[in-house]
Amino acid sequence: MAIFRYPGWRWPDMPGALEDFEKARRQMDRLLSAFTGGSEAVTSSGVFPPLIVTEEEDKICVEAEISGIKAEDLDISIVGRTLTISGERKPEEAQDVNYHRRERKWGSFRKALTLPEDVSGDGVRAECRDGLLRLVLPKPEHVKPRKITIQGQ
Amino acid sequence: MAETDLQIEEKKAVQAAGESTRDVPVFVPPVDIYESENALTLLADMPGVPIDKIDIDLDSDQLTIRGMVDHEESKGKVIFKEFTYGDYYRQFTLSSDIDRSRIQASMKDGVLKLVLPKAEAAKPRKITVQSM
Repeated sequence: MAIFRYPGWRWPDMPGALEDFEKARRQMDRLLSAFTGGSEAVTSSGVFPPLIVTEEEDKICVEAEISGIKAEDLDISIVGRTLTISGERKPEEAQDVNYHRRERKWGSFRKALTLPEDVSGDGVRAECRDGLLRLVLPKPEHVKPRKITIQGQ
Repeated sequence: MAETDLQIEEKKAVQAAGESTRDVPVFVPPVDIYESENALTLLADMPGVPIDKIDIDLDSDQLTIRGMVDHEESKGKVIFKEFTYGDYYRQFTLSSDIDRSRIQASMKDGVLKLVLPKAEAAKPRKITVQSM
């Protein structure tokens, strides 16, 4: 058995019901395309802190969300091509209180990342602002793209 | 060293909190709320929100927190992406009476701290039982 619709056919006592259905389907499609298309999909490794790594011609930028972590509790190192971010997020000490909610997580963390290119050791910049860590890792001269000009006669 | 290893808590998107005019996602910030004898303290993780982009509103017993993220989108090619930048929004209904004139808000390392002192009437009063 198949259910099909004659062109122009409507539900007799529910005019517009199918149109509503169509509308809902279109909205669903639009919603799904927002997740798959548009911006890049988020793929989480599950290890704190969450990162965004971007590459430009002359540098690699690493951004991390590290709210509640003091700069002195953070340790960043680069050995070869491996960037390691480790540290600890400490709980706030409060005496004689009743907790109603405890959703913020704390603990120690360590995350290592293999960089796509070599980086030159000096000239690495790191800044912490409003709970965001931003690392700028310049590429060494020999991997930067070089522009070759063609000389005319 | 703490024994627990930190995991990424995936950001939760706000479900229909009135439409935002900014074209960025809106997330629910994770919070800690604790109560002492004199005050209610709220801590909220809002990475990327500077102090001047925080909006706190207390309307009768409805506390609303809004934070607008401030960052420059990197121009480079994205290699790896584990989070999305976005605004933060959360609303609470407060049970005890709050002394509005003494509310304190501060922001440090992307964490909002809100101290809501209890009004005199809401503080526990000690009743001494007198012996006859």
